[in-house]
Amino acid sequence: MRVLLHTGKGGVGKTTMALTTALGAAMHGHRTFVLSTDAAHSLGDALGASLGPEACEVAPGVTVRELSVLDELDDAWSVVQEWLAVFLRGEARHSGDAEEEAPMVAEELLAFPGLEELIALRAIRQVEASGAYDVCVVDCAPTGSTLRLLRFPDVLRFLMENVFDWKRRSMRLVRPLARRVRADRFVPSEEVFAAVERLYADVTGVRQILLDGDRTSARLVVNPARVVVDETRRSFAYLSLYGVATDALLVNRVLPPDARSGYFSRWAEREREELHQIDRSFPVPRFEFPLQRTEPIGVEALMGLARAVFGDQDPAGFFSKSRPIRLRKEAGSTILEIDLPNVSNEEVEVVAAGRDLVVRVRDAQRLISLPDSVVGRPLEEVRLLDGVLAVSFAP
Amino acid sequence: MRLVLYTGKGGVGKTTTAAATAACAAERGVRTLVVSSDVAHSLGDVFDTELSSVPVTLAPKLDAIELDARVEINRHYGAIREYLVELFRYQGIDDVVADELALLPGAEEVTALLAVEEFAQSAAYDLVVVDCAPTGSTLRLVALPEMLSGVLRFLPSLARLASAVVSPWAQAVFSVPLPKSPVFRDLQKLVDERAVQLRRRLAASDTTVRIVATPERMVIEEARRAYMELSLFELRCDAVVMNRLLPASAGEEEFFQDWCTLQAQRHRELEELFAPVWVVDAPLQRDEVVGLDAVSAHGREIFAEVEPHAVLSEAPRLRFTKTKAGHRVHLPLPGASPEDLEVTVVEGELIVRAGSRRRSIRLPPRIARLALEFARVDAGSLVVGFREPA
Repeated sequence: MRVLLHTGKGGVGKTTMALTTALGAAMHGHRTFVLSTDAAHSLGDALGASLGPEACEVAPGVTVRELSVLDELDDAWSVVQEWLAVFLRGEARHSGDAEEEAPMVAEELLAFPGLEELIALRAIRQVEASGAYDVCVVDCAPTGSTLRLLRFPDVLRFLMENVFDWKRRSMRLVRPLARRVRADRFVPSEEVFAAVERLYADVTGVRQILLDGDRTSARLVVNPARVVVDETRRSFAYLSLYGVATDALLVNRVLPPDARSGYFSRWAEREREELHQIDRSFPVPRFEFPLQRTEPIGVEALMGLARAVFGDQDPAGFFSKSRPIRLRKEAGSTILEIDLPNVSNEEVEVVAAGRDLVVRVRDAQRLISLPDSVVGRPLEEVRLLDGVLAVSFAP
Repeated sequence: MRLVLYTGKGGVGKTTTAAATAACAAERGVRTLVVSSDVAHSLGDVFDTELSSVPVTLAPKLDAIELDARVEINRHYGAIREYLVELFRYQGIDDVVADELALLPGAEEVTALLAVEEFAQSAAYDLVVVDCAPTGSTLRLVALPEMLSGVLRFLPSLARLASAVVSPWAQAVFSVPLPKSPVFRDLQKLVDERAVQLRRRLAASDTTVRIVATPERMVIEEARRAYMELSLFELRCDAVVMNRLLPASAGEEEFFQDWCTLQAQRHRELEELFAPVWVVDAPLQRDEVVGLDAVSAHGREIFAEVEPHAVLSEAPRLRFTKTKAGHRVHLPLPGASPEDLEVTVVEGELIVRAGSRRRSIRLPPRIARLALEFARVDAGSLVVGFREPA
């Protein structure tokens, strides 16, 4: 199943682009599913229809679903929350505090940034498992959250490997003792561990889909405005750092020829500069979505837009293909390469930390687990050339 | 000190509006600091200059700063961070990673508030304008002092939980460091001084939130959600800025006829939805608003009729409460009598009809699931009760 992640700065028109792409894909005969994971759903608004939490077919071959993140969260996490709430309630009773607050506090404590989006993305696996769809178009939350989401599996993996498993083992040791000293309620039940492990398995599954360049591509949605393009340029590098390949850039709200005069002449000039800039700084093809005379709402309007933009091309295809992170051998050395276009030397920091390589690009950081063959080998050279970061390990 | 927090959906122009407000206030003699708390800083881009994590003077009485969560966190909770670093290092993790982990939950929000409070204490500014991260995180930011005191009240319990899990048995077997007293001292300080201060600051009569919106349906929808949620945390919203309004001269372009009509309609909708909160119009300029001159000019245009630092409206505030008996919604409606009121719940919205006026309030998800129990007028407020559905 082809997976297309639509992300970009807030307000650029991700939802409209995702739906246009989906309707275009359906015109090419693909059975298409559109999934909205942004808590502020707008699929319904863009379709001019009221959507429930269930999947529904909005056009021939196009099924859409707005996930209820709260429900999904409850489903995945309630066991753990209850355990913590029970514990906190007991403690509150013990110390004379308000017991009613315990569940709310438990909820707060377990609301990691990025968790919601990630749990929402589990739905991609369900769509795939159903076997009923060829394409899954995802309308993601704005880039910031999407990046947090990509980073979350790293953090979770780290916790699982370094804290959780370890704790679980110690817990088995502790439980009989704990019972004797009346501390039993401190110790989470097997159910709690099972819930965390299930979540971990789901997350790992989602991660595998997201990082599989043979089926998943990101589509960055951008407006031809400087601030937006600047931020998107950074997002492109971050996505690449996390191993997600971007195959096309969708430029929304480009002034059409009959809107470039008078009051908008300076804006039109700016746009031309920006489009030129985009061509120079993004190594992928771009599609232009012209500004319409009014809001493009509803299936008809969006299908028209799909035809105008994609023409005969299949929007579900690969517009470019790359592996943003790859290993190669050269004269005995192993070289890890990461595509980081538009990033300067000062913005990158590379540190080897045990089995992981820590790569920091401005505010984003990634833990890349190193293959066994490289672990423990000294870093020979780190160099950023022509938008590619090359880290070489001595033979 | 006057504190103005700008929030709104991503990409609506919060940063530009915050910058314009600050530049305009400074021009009118107010000592102003504009703060960017969003990790993806764009304040420097708007002023077309390099900013840093210490205030930079851009014009007379105008300073700007881009907060760096990493720097702030090191300053504010050194010992806690060290504990986390130490804890994770014990498990074979390099410092860099632990450092990063310690930065995870809500760090940006806490640090922004802590820094703002520090500027307030220093009395160096009359006005601090904060360009917040998009709506979601801003709400976390404003909810934080409350969440903190809630969580921290349970902290000794959690510490006991941690010790029960890892010590004394584990202590002997695995040698995990337990929080040493400085950690708790820091936390205690954070609760006692900081959280209380922050809550006081947010509740102060000279602290207000302004929501930035554009005349688009999805954006307005999000603004309404934000407004409801701000009430949930009892924050004052004194203005909604409607950004990128097409000015009359743009409406003369044939291509934009329908957009102008649509925008006028959206503008009316917005005024109705937010009344009596002030709606400020910010026009779409002929060119990008970048650089101090353009930003200042934009500010003069937005605040032609009002002072940028004034509290622009005093809206009665909606409140949500939770008691043993269930959830209650309190809507201040001075002078209303029960016969005039009609209350219904439709698709997660509480609809209140008072005479010919109608207000719909989006309910928080937790309440929207419940069943309407009663509605009564109590001391100038409409009180609506909800209970678990049968």
